[in-house]
Amino acid sequence: MSQIEIRDVSIEYKKPKSEETFVAIQGINLAIEKGSFVTIVGASGCGKSTLLLALAGLIRRARGSIRVEGRDVTGPGPDRAMVFQDASLLPWRSVHGNVRFGLELQRWSRDDLNERAARFVRMVGLGGFADYHPHQLSGGMRQRVNIARALAVDPQVLLMDEPFGALDAQTREVMGDELLRIWERDKKTAIFVTHSIDEAIFLGDRVVVMGRNPGHIRDVVEIDLPRPRAAAMLDSAAFIAYRRKLREYIAGDMQSLQMIKDVA
Amino acid sequence: MTVTDQIAPRRTFAIGPVLDRYYGAGVSTVSVLLFLLLWEFAAEWNWINIRFTSQPSQVFRAAVVLFQTPVFYHHAWVSFSEFVLGFALALVVSIPVGLVLGTSRRVRLFVEPPLMALYTAPRLALLPILIVWLGIGMASKVAVVFLGAVFPIIVNTIAGVRDADQRLLQAARAFGANQIDIFLKVLIPGSLPAILMGVRLGIGRGLLSVIVGEMFVSEAGIGYQLMTYGQGMHMNNLLVYAFVVSFFGYGLTMSVRVLEDRVRSWRSVA
Repeated sequence: MSQIEIRDVSIEYKKPKSEETFVAIQGINLAIEKGSFVTIVGASGCGKSTLLLALAGLIRRARGSIRVEGRDVTGPGPDRAMVFQDASLLPWRSVHGNVRFGLELQRWSRDDLNERAARFVRMVGLGGFADYHPHQLSGGMRQRVNIARALAVDPQVLLMDEPFGALDAQTREVMGDELLRIWERDKKTAIFVTHSIDEAIFLGDRVVVMGRNPGHIRDVVEIDLPRPRAAAMLDSAAFIAYRRKLREYIAGDMQSLQMIKDVA
Repeated sequence: MTVTDQIAPRRTFAIGPVLDRYYGAGVSTVSVLLFLLLWEFAAEWNWINIRFTSQPSQVFRAAVVLFQTPVFYHHAWVSFSEFVLGFALALVVSIPVGLVLGTSRRVRLFVEPPLMALYTAPRLALLPILIVWLGIGMASKVAVVFLGAVFPIIVNTIAGVRDADQRLLQAARAFGANQIDIFLKVLIPGSLPAILMGVRLGIGRGLLSVIVGEMFVSEAGIGYQLMTYGQGMHMNNLLVYAFVVSFFGYGLTMSVRVLEDRVRSWRSVA
């Protein structure tokens, strides 16, 4: 049995001010092994973030089951932690305080709190910035705090929703490297949503490609690149082949959308 | 970080920043001093009738005398305690009420119409009723201070809670926050700037209420003294009391503003 088993999951939203429902994702099946790094990529509107939120237990599913370590996901739990996009840090708390936040919410004992928070602040390389507030940090530093906050609660599974989406290209690459460096230490299962194909290949053991109308899984591509990954691989023949393949999937998706627009 | 150091030549003398810092206070002080001087000499040279306007030096002398009498402290204490009691009551009621109203749409829809009616109505119009109910002693003034201060704080607290960043709420829930955690760790700290703004407005309203309430009907307090001195044309003493109220209100408002600025500082760059 895999650590995470997603079976026939559908999620629907009620459209505002009408009885109609909008099907965000439909018939999703996916099994994820403990310790693997899975990336989910797809054009916007394919429901990749919706799937992640469902895994986090933050939205209800219309159908299907999600199990983590055999337990049905009915809400947020300490076995999963989420790294959000930019601006999910409490602006009135310091770096240290933000990392503490998750620990406080999960009722870690008083003695552990400060020491553990400090340890994870150091781990993401922000030891000298523990007393800074989010508005004093760069986007990349803020996302380091976000990652530290999630890792500090010692989850089984790390969920990341386009964590580097708001960063510039250079910072993004640095953060990717950094994330892998941290991940290699104890290889927690990681699920990473992104719209960047390169990022998906560079980080993942497997890339889940999603399509839309409604959101579904088109393919799961095994990435056979050695770890630790290095920036030089971005130019390797294997990487370029993966990139071409994934780009075709996603371009196809864009095209089908264009056709729908033309018909309408 | 290091590059910017090379661009702008630094000021050599520390006097620049110091001047910048005290510039605003300096200009304001000059303005106040000029006004007092003008007043003093206008009265001295009979440009204005001293009987109606008094004169800063006379007011100052009256203050020195007044501050040595127990009568002054008696009246100041009455007003002060009415204000503090009414205001404390307003704080205790308004913040929880505002938090609940900000969170629950249903409760808000239910309570908002009468609340808004009371907020916009001149609450001093209720004073005669309060006096019928509570008498002419402290209680009616405490009630009118309460009514003056409670609504701006409620309304601002509601606004603060409703403005809460949804992304922060979602992040908190993802880490397993329950409703109490969300109140204590996200909603309250997040709406603190708005709450403090309400408190600041409430101070002004409450102070106005206590003074007018005492003028209207009472047996003691600064408002009562203002009325008495006014009727007797004792301009010097009247102005001493008026200044005391102004300074108190100004000092309190400014200290809340300082607090507000500090709490709001995390928003300044974002």
